[in-house]
Amino acid sequence: MKRTLIAAALLAFAWPAAAQTPAAGKRVQVSGEIVDTWCAVTGIMFGLGTAHHQCAVWCAVGGIPVAIRDKDGQFYMVLRIENEDVSVAAPKIVKIQTHQVTVDGELFERDGVKYLLVDKVADDKGIVNLTHDEHGVVPFGE
Amino acid sequence: MRRLLLSLAIPAALLSAPAFAAEAWGLKDEKLVSFSGQVVDILCTLKGDCPAACGGGKRQLGLVSEGRLYTAAKSNTLFAGATKDLLPWCGRTIEIDGLLVENPAMPILMVQGIREKAGVGDFAPTDQFEKDWTAANGKADEWWRADPTAKAALADNGILGRKDLKWPK
Repeated sequence: MKRTLIAAALLAFAWPAAAQTPAAGKRVQVSGEIVDTWCAVTGIMFGLGTAHHQCAVWCAVGGIPVAIRDKDGQFYMVLRIENEDVSVAAPKIVKIQTHQVTVDGELFERDGVKYLLVDKVADDKGIVNLTHDEHGVVPFGE
Repeated sequence: MRRLLLSLAIPAALLSAPAFAAEAWGLKDEKLVSFSGQVVDILCTLKGDCPAACGGGKRQLGLVSEGRLYTAAKSNTLFAGATKDLLPWCGRTIEIDGLLVENPAMPILMVQGIREKAGVGDFAPTDQFEKDWTAANGKADEWWRADPTAKAALADNGILGRKDLKWPK
């Protein structure tokens, strides 16, 4: 009983404390394609490469969170890129949408989501995933 | 054949985006959800880096409900996120409904409707992005094609994103 009460008390106080306490994430290097989360995560359409670049730009400008999708299909939601203080329609992100990048940053994980604060875009190969021959331009075809 | 199916199915799915709350999209792993949660700045919640007013629209927002952090990725406006809809409720507990897409690689939330008090009144549709965009830019059938920032970004390298590739061919 005593153990249960202690556990309950810890749970009750853990969340507010975590919300206000400065925390450090794990240092990581991640490589993959910059994608918009809604199309890529839901699979509502083919969401990669040249076929999806236009849509990915629209979504980023519209403020949909952007992520890096690595070769294993893991998503890393970008909450900050370099010194930019904005993660909604961030100009730097719009500019490198659909690019194949390698970034250094700080990783936080919570409730099944990987969140990334990008300190530096270490490598940018541009758009290398040429998907339009197979898929056309999605959505709308133009 | 696959391209034909995509060209028919995708626009239909997008254009049939629900005008009101809690409508299914037929997505893999989607669940209709309705819950009460506190609107939070995700970066603040994770790192303790907390500007005033949840960043005033610069930060991605989420909801915390029963200890779980939900990432609000999408609103009812096509091609638009939910920050503008959630921002007025920063720090407050509201009720939302929408779609939770439980992709094991990244669960995300589409917030379709918001109401101030659980069970009281109707859900207001999450269309603040479109309202703000229209106020700033004028009415357009498709904001995404008319948006100056998007147009400028795509003008540089074309809709495929590369100057050396042309579309249509």
